[in-house]
Amino acid sequence: MDKLVNGFKPLLQPLLALIAGLAVGAIAIVIVGGSVTETYAEMWKGAFGNFYFVTNTLARATPIILIGLGVALAFRAGFFNMGSEGQMVLGALSAAVTAIYLPGPGWLKLIGAIMAGMLAGGIWSAFAGWLDARFRMNLLITTLLLNYIATYFAGYVVTYPLKDTTGSAAMAQTVMLDKAAWLPKLFQGYSLHAGFVLALLGTILLYLFMKHTVKGYEIRMLGGNPLFASYGGVQRGQLMFLSMFVSGGLAGLAGSVEVLGTQYRYLDGALTSPGYAWSGIMATLLAGSHPIGTAIAALLIAALQTGGMGMERNTEVPLEVSSIIQAVLILFVSAKLTYSFIKRKKAGAGNGPAV
Amino acid sequence: MDQLFDVSLFASALRMLTPILLAALGGAICARVGLFNVGLEGLMLIGAFSAIVGNYLTGSIALSLLFAIGCTLVFSMLFAYMSIQLQANVIVVGIALNFLALGLTTFSLRAIFDVKGAYYDKNMVGLPKLHIPIVEDIPWLGFVLSGHSVLVYASVLIVAALHYYLFRTVSGFRLLAAGENPTAARSLGIKVTRIQYGAVLLCGALCGLAGAQLSLGNVTMFTEGMTAGRGFIALVATMLGQSTPLGVAGASLLFGFMESLSIRLQGFALPTHFTMMVPYVVTILAMLFFKDKGYMQEARKSSGSSR
Repeated sequence: MDKLVNGFKPLLQPLLALIAGLAVGAIAIVIVGGSVTETYAEMWKGAFGNFYFVTNTLARATPIILIGLGVALAFRAGFFNMGSEGQMVLGALSAAVTAIYLPGPGWLKLIGAIMAGMLAGGIWSAFAGWLDARFRMNLLITTLLLNYIATYFAGYVVTYPLKDTTGSAAMAQTVMLDKAAWLPKLFQGYSLHAGFVLALLGTILLYLFMKHTVKGYEIRMLGGNPLFASYGGVQRGQLMFLSMFVSGGLAGLAGSVEVLGTQYRYLDGALTSPGYAWSGIMATLLAGSHPIGTAIAALLIAALQTGGMGMERNTEVPLEVSSIIQAVLILFVSAKLTYSFIKRKKAGAGNGPAV
Repeated sequence: MDQLFDVSLFASALRMLTPILLAALGGAICARVGLFNVGLEGLMLIGAFSAIVGNYLTGSIALSLLFAIGCTLVFSMLFAYMSIQLQANVIVVGIALNFLALGLTTFSLRAIFDVKGAYYDKNMVGLPKLHIPIVEDIPWLGFVLSGHSVLVYASVLIVAALHYYLFRTVSGFRLLAAGENPTAARSLGIKVTRIQYGAVLLCGALCGLAGAQLSLGNVTMFTEGMTAGRGFIALVATMLGQSTPLGVAGASLLFGFMESLSIRLQGFALPTHFTMMVPYVVTILAMLFFKDKGYMQEARKSSGSSR
């Protein structure tokens, strides 16, 4: 019995949050004059209605999972990496450029592009980590500001020097990648691509890393109690560098698989307008930075988004209802309105933990 | 070069400065009571949107400002309740607040005005422009200093008032004490929780005004996510100014100037991407001169870490 209760406890919070989110969403639907049951039915159909919609949701979840994993790692180490968007964009741009200009067979281009994407994202992220370690610049702020710089830079690159001038479409994008360098689709004719497999692999690897390796333990210690960690001889600067690099690398990978598996080119704004990066951060917050939980939360958020699109297609209710639901989810989870909160209150602890 | 640094550059710098300054002052007050408010961006966005809604509903400037303040007060109450009462991590709550603001304003834009992306009404009257009698006749200064919206001048007064309040009044000292060492302050009978609530609410009101200046100051319009990171720049201004009102004003002046410079540079055949980058790059460079508190010190502080 105890085991059952303990297994259910971590699920209780997200479930309560989901119910609260759906309730607030229902209020919003009523305000715009829609029918709640009908709207939510459309939402469900839009996310999981048939095989096409399911694969669509999974395809959307792919970058969100990868970004969420990266942010989860940084959060676990106690670093607020808010720069996923910039890391993802630079990763995507590097992947596209590598796939276009790297000579050789398709598989080499593909692997090179993924490597370049991860490297670019990682370096951009580690740069912020370095600024913090070296100059004591607040990481949260620098990562946020670096986002804007990265997106503007990528925008510049595809608007001027690398612009696709072959077609008649006057869009800021690179040329189409070589077909041989495309990530394969998992099912013929559906949007789900091999990046999803990478995302699942990443989830399992990160879980094992955090749980069963020395470095993973050190990272958890550093995030949980920095004083204890430094007393135990954990090198903060070095760990920060490592965790920020991997965190950004995962965001870069997210951008790369989007380019190699969905768009087959770098198109300005194609990654930023769906808000993948922020969705990934939300997934992390929702799951309390647990790798597997983050993947599940990312799926939930992707389903809310694709469901929202289905809802907008078939009802009069605007898409933004789903973003309200998502925000309420996060608020609710951050408040930690459960058993653990009451326990903390009794212990007279100060601020809640970041994870 | 003389084309670049002309009168209107300085005049527009003052206009750009105001939203950042007001939000940064709010952030400074929050920082003084030990709450690192990352939700400035969201509060500002809500202020900007509700100012437009208030104007649309009532047609009166005073009422729309009050409406904007009222709406942001509700949301800052949420922030305060979550971080003070429920002891959630302030940063996470701030981030969630930003999400909520973005979703809600976009949703309400559809629900109230039935438009997507941006709402613009050319018949709407923005904030009134003040012309200062004697100053406006001085050749160069008059153009720079006179003829701005009411909030630009109000923000200068707010800076002075806050500085006086924080460093010259008993209640201001209590506020500082509550942030410096909550436990010691409590032992003296200072109502720390009440002070924290008050600080967050004041911050909310200031962010509401900042948003109103954004949406009603120069042009009367609202676009989705129109704060565009100004809330985060305001956070940096808070840090650079060491959370003192005068310091914050100095830092905001720098950022406001950079923002108007970036707009001005677009006329100089530079790609807009690079000119848009200027404020963010300068912000990062400015952070070089600011030493963040050591993380060890933060870890020892009972009021949670700001990272």
